[in-house]
Amino acid sequence: MQATRHTPDSEDHGIDLAPMLDFTINLLIFFIITTSFIKEAGITVFKPFAVTAENRDSGNLLIAIRENGEIWMDRNSVEIRELRGLIERLHIERPDDSVVIIADKSSRAGIVAKVMDEVRAGGIKDVALAADPSAGGGG
Amino acid sequence: MGIRRRAEASHESSHGIDLAPMLDFVINLLIFFIITAVFVKEFGLNVNRPTSFEQQNPEDSESIQIQVLNNGEIWIDGREVDVRAVRANVERMSAINPDTGVLLLANEQAPTGTVVEVVDQVHLGGIYNITFSTSN
Repeated sequence: MQATRHTPDSEDHGIDLAPMLDFTINLLIFFIITTSFIKEAGITVFKPFAVTAENRDSGNLLIAIRENGEIWMDRNSVEIRELRGLIERLHIERPDDSVVIIADKSSRAGIVAKVMDEVRAGGIKDVALAADPSAGGGG
Repeated sequence: MGIRRRAEASHESSHGIDLAPMLDFVINLLIFFIITAVFVKEFGLNVNRPTSFEQQNPEDSESIQIQVLNNGEIWIDGREVDVRAVRANVERMSAINPDTGVLLLANEQAPTGTVVEVVDQVHLGGIYNITFSTSN
């Protein structure tokens, strides 16, 4: 320790920044890789419970359906008629997107089915129904 | 000449490139990515949607039909069952015919919560091939 401290190399600089830089760049790469550009629905709804719900890591386009049948996507309320065009455009931009439909517990099954059909018609075949596996379930 | 010589001299005395500005830049990038990172974890269930051709004949004898009425009642085989009994029914029927799928026929006014509960119970009963169809 004594010998290295007094070498002329370490005398003209303060701290050697290289290891810190390595570490920082590694962190940076980690965050760049794990950043997925998720389009959030923009509202919170009461999700139904389901024990068997699987983690959908790839689901990056979230569509929420409120109790009264309103559809929310990317922080905007959209009409069912607009949905297909929006999905088509997003599908062209990023073809491997998948959709998670977050339907309120007391929303109607008909509107959920319609949204599913529109999403599939827009070109995204990977559609899942969101559920909360943490609480309740089992009946 | 004099200036260059002095620059060379100072260059040689140090380590090489000064890493500090690069480090500043990298740390700024890092902070940006940390702030914008969204950690959304969605949990979901996969269900099939029938094509319009299949939708015309829901009386497919090979699959178990589960109906969800607009008031949330669940009917299997012409009997009303509780949501907790769905699993047992599905297990019994899948024991008879292991390749069978489930056709979930929901009324358009049926609450999604009940539909998802039924899907969950069918999954617990061991069948993952669920087709979700609606009727009015």
